[in-house]
Amino acid sequence: MFMLRNPLLSSLRSSYKPTTTFTRLFSINKNLLQTPAKGQEILLKQRAKRPISPHLTIYQPQITWYLSSVHRVSGVLLGAVFFGVTIAYGINKIYNFGLNDDSLVEYYKNNVPTWLDYTGKASIAYLFAFHFANGIRHLVWDKGSGFTIKGIYKGGYSVLAVCAVAGSYLFSKAF
Amino acid sequence: MLGLRSIAGSRSTLQSLSRSNQFSFNSLRFFTIPFLPTLPQNPGGVKGDINDNLIPPKPNKLASSTHWKLEKVLAIGLIPLVSMSLIQGAGVGSLVDLGLSYTLLMHCYVGFQSCIIDYIPKRVYGHWHNRAMYLLTLGSLLSILGIYDMNFGEKNNGAVSLTSKLWTSKNDKVDEVNK
Repeated sequence: MFMLRNPLLSSLRSSYKPTTTFTRLFSINKNLLQTPAKGQEILLKQRAKRPISPHLTIYQPQITWYLSSVHRVSGVLLGAVFFGVTIAYGINKIYNFGLNDDSLVEYYKNNVPTWLDYTGKASIAYLFAFHFANGIRHLVWDKGSGFTIKGIYKGGYSVLAVCAVAGSYLFSKAF
Repeated sequence: MLGLRSIAGSRSTLQSLSRSNQFSFNSLRFFTIPFLPTLPQNPGGVKGDINDNLIPPKPNKLASSTHWKLEKVLAIGLIPLVSMSLIQGAGVGSLVDLGLSYTLLMHCYVGFQSCIIDYIPKRVYGHWHNRAMYLLTLGSLLSILGIYDMNFGEKNNGAVSLTSKLWTSKNDKVDEVNK
């Protein structure tokens, strides 16, 4: 009892850690024990350090994934034109500001500058040809054929060729 | 030697540039739409603690395979409709014109919906995702009305005729009308 009450001796006793095989296997380091809340806090800190997966910009531009993005971009641009014209007709049906086929063509003829006319029609011609051809390519893939590296490259170059020829043909019809 | 050194120098600057670019490209802020407010994100994109149960999304009859099949039906259906319109030009039948317009509208609706799901996700934008969807639906309803007017309006002859007229509008030789 006398020895336990001695502060010097008791501090010595606490700092003394026997390192027998038994204590190494079965003793618990109290400093490592945490409450669940503290554990969650550590988990959140660790999660914040998780790396973010790299974005598209780190990949080499390849026909395999570039044409896929062009397909979506062309679809959105063509869709925007379609929505623009049909929504204008829809609003005209409600408020009636005199929009019809003839007035629209007349407005286009008189107010759209030549550079915009050329740019718009060339974009629509080539993007439409591309989206149409690549859409068929996507449907062929969905059927389950042509989905190999070789097939994808072959299809990709064919679609680009079709886009060049058909797009030029459609654009030439404007003159 | 001088040339080699300058190439080596430019390469190292390029590398350091690409490294700094990678850092900014990887941050979420770089790829968000600037005028829409974003929700605060959980650390590491994970919610809750490790013992939480998975809450599966509500089953939706129109989602996944049904939606996929609908997309395919629309896309396949567009092939003959678009081909016929391209070949016959302004002289295409009104039924084909009507079918093409409404199928194209559904195709556009489905496509824009996928884009909203991808680029304005609910996880990042919260209710702005829903607002974008409502806006798309509202626009599509106006489109339905517009296409009806395009085909059945007194002074209108349908979308294909309008396209071919606009396509050749700047052309002086008007008699050659074919899209």
